[in-house]
Amino acid sequence: MALTGRAGLLALVGVLVVGLVLPSWQGILVVFAVLLACVAVDLSLAAGVRRLTFSRAGAISVRTGEPCAVQLTVHNPGRRLRGVLRDGWAPSAGVVDDRVAVDVPAGGSRVLSFELRPVRRGDRVSDRVTVRSYGPLGVAARQGSHVVPWTVRALPPFHSRRHLPPLLERLRELDGRRASLIRGAGTEFDSLRAYVIGDDVRSIDWRASARSSDVVVRTWRPERDRQVTIVVDTARTSAARVDGALGGLPRLDTSMDAALLLSALASQARDQVDFLAFSHKVRASVPRATLPVLVQAMAPLEAELVEFDARAAVAEVLRRSGRRSLVVLLTSLEPSVEHGLLPLLPALASRHHLLIASVADPAVHAMAAGRGDLEAVYSAAAAERTLAERRRLTALLARHGVDVVDALPDDLPRALADRYLSLKAAGKL
Amino acid sequence: MTAVSPDARRIWTAARGPVLIGAVILLAAVVIALLRGSGEGGALDPRSFRPEGSHAVADLLEQNGVRVELTDNASSVDGATLFVPQPNLIDPERLADLSRRASATVLLAPATGVARLEPETRQPGCPLADRAGAATMGGFVYEGELRCYDSTLVRTGTVTTIGYGGIFTNRDIDSEGNAALALSLLGQHERLVWYVPSAADRSQQKSLTDLVPDGWKFAALQLGIAVVLIALWRARRLGRVVPEPLPVVVRAAETVEGRARLYRRSHAASHAASVLRQATRDRLAPLLGVPPGEDPSEEIARRTSRPAAAVRSLLYDTGPVDDRGLVALAAELDAVENEVRKG
Repeated sequence: MALTGRAGLLALVGVLVVGLVLPSWQGILVVFAVLLACVAVDLSLAAGVRRLTFSRAGAISVRTGEPCAVQLTVHNPGRRLRGVLRDGWAPSAGVVDDRVAVDVPAGGSRVLSFELRPVRRGDRVSDRVTVRSYGPLGVAARQGSHVVPWTVRALPPFHSRRHLPPLLERLRELDGRRASLIRGAGTEFDSLRAYVIGDDVRSIDWRASARSSDVVVRTWRPERDRQVTIVVDTARTSAARVDGALGGLPRLDTSMDAALLLSALASQARDQVDFLAFSHKVRASVPRATLPVLVQAMAPLEAELVEFDARAAVAEVLRRSGRRSLVVLLTSLEPSVEHGLLPLLPALASRHHLLIASVADPAVHAMAAGRGDLEAVYSAAAAERTLAERRRLTALLARHGVDVVDALPDDLPRALADRYLSLKAAGKL
Repeated sequence: MTAVSPDARRIWTAARGPVLIGAVILLAAVVIALLRGSGEGGALDPRSFRPEGSHAVADLLEQNGVRVELTDNASSVDGATLFVPQPNLIDPERLADLSRRASATVLLAPATGVARLEPETRQPGCPLADRAGAATMGGFVYEGELRCYDSTLVRTGTVTTIGYGGIFTNRDIDSEGNAALALSLLGQHERLVWYVPSAADRSQQKSLTDLVPDGWKFAALQLGIAVVLIALWRARRLGRVVPEPLPVVVRAAETVEGRARLYRRSHAASHAASVLRQATRDRLAPLLGVPPGEDPSEEIARRTSRPAAAVRSLLYDTGPVDDRGLVALAAELDAVENEVRKG
């Protein structure tokens, strides 16, 4: 049960009654008895909450930060229900207004719509639906809760999608499908066609020209149907928060953004994308990924406080991709890479091309530039030590034929996509 | 059914723990109060065993057939000895009324004293206390018909005024003739009313609550009820609080900051200096076209106006060993780097 403001108001009116009319214990008892009677009437005449039935419908997934609506249907088998209803969701589900006044006639139903605007990626689960049913006097109410499960999956926001149009433009230039001053370049033989002035004479196919009346040139195009395996590290280092333009985000979220941009680009380039999230075991796996499937798979991923098992990850990658592919590992360049990943590189590099993308921390760069007092200089020394360690690791990995993209969180998705395009242009896929 | 509101059985299951705890606390309070009930009390309290208490006197009186009644309102004093250890706390009119009704009255150090004397052993010098003899007396000096012990004990009619209460305390009862004097003063009649006024008794005049009309008092009570009801209205939550499942998130730069603090605590100026030198060399080498790992001093000297030896010493020396030198070195390295970038 619950009392309302009217109960308090009634008791306040009672102050006048007691003070002016009946200044005695009897007076207080009389007022209390009246109050109690009102509460009893309300409680007995209010519609029961326990027998209400509920059902839900509406959005099941939405991109983080965008609005969606979830409908809640209330069916009332008993007498008329008047009151207030609260649909409980965790704060990150971003329910705009979680409590509404309800008036459901006896035996009737009402559909209530709640607007959600999730602020965090992941599965947002509804909590209890609570109804407070007022009695006819509005002095007291019955109150009860029901569990009406519903889950809205907040998909990764994919902020870097604004980079996609210029990248696709570059891809088309590469492809030769767009008229430009730069001739399309690639390593895969496309077709033979007649020479026109302006073509590179080095691309003239003399053997074909000999058979034909015209001078014939070979055209090339970028390779297609290559395989790109994206591995996102969801182990302990991905939990670290790195400040970017969008506020402090875990490295994992930046990695996902970069992975989404890369896979969008790669599927436009007609390459096949395999997605793998790995910590010490496979957390998510999407073979032949398309963007809608990929965001669904990424949404519930959270960083785990375990060590990244490089051996198991490499074994998994080798097991899954039979043919040569570009393996993009989104992780963090920490000293642990040297002991974990480095010894396994020969096995991986013999069959695949490895590209490591790492989220750099702007805070460390800011610390390295700090001067002035002793504390700042010591911080600068510690930051320089970290940066030197990363440079050393990058050089070490480069010696093993690994490409490294180490960029700040705001730049990483674009930098990774650019590196992919340049690898494609160079025919290294 | 999807309803999850608690029924009576679940409410009892949830509430019995707190109820049990409350009952245990209450029981403990009662037991402690019972155990500590006796032996307490302040100065000149006939129940107190402490040095400044008066249990010994009360005990002696009881042995001599005097009934000791400790009271805080002294309603019936007729035919009894009235002993007032703190007469200053009582309304003078009431005190006068009481002493008129009592057969004998003993007042301890009322505020009417005319002089002060140090408590010490004094001779009686009057018939009133000849049997007791010397006693520890002092305190205030009074005016009166019969004066003993240098006027620190006087009697006017049935009212005896005594300037110092030492003779009634457990500490001093056994020295000199204190016990005899106390017995002769307090044991004059079969009943002794030991009057220690309480707070309620002290204020015989009307208090604020007496002056307020009854109607207002009950109205205030009713107002309290209203406040409780309003508090209940505001306190009832519409459904439980939903917790947010927060991910584990650590600031990435925390390890770097930790290392900086370690450097600082151990005053690792030389180590920090070598790290900063290495960083500057690594940054300048690609700018100057020097292969990594080789000495860029010559190239730097060529581009700036600095002598090569000074640049080499800046970039390769070990030290400084103190903190101030480190700050200066960092500034110097920055200066060189800026000159190279500009030049």
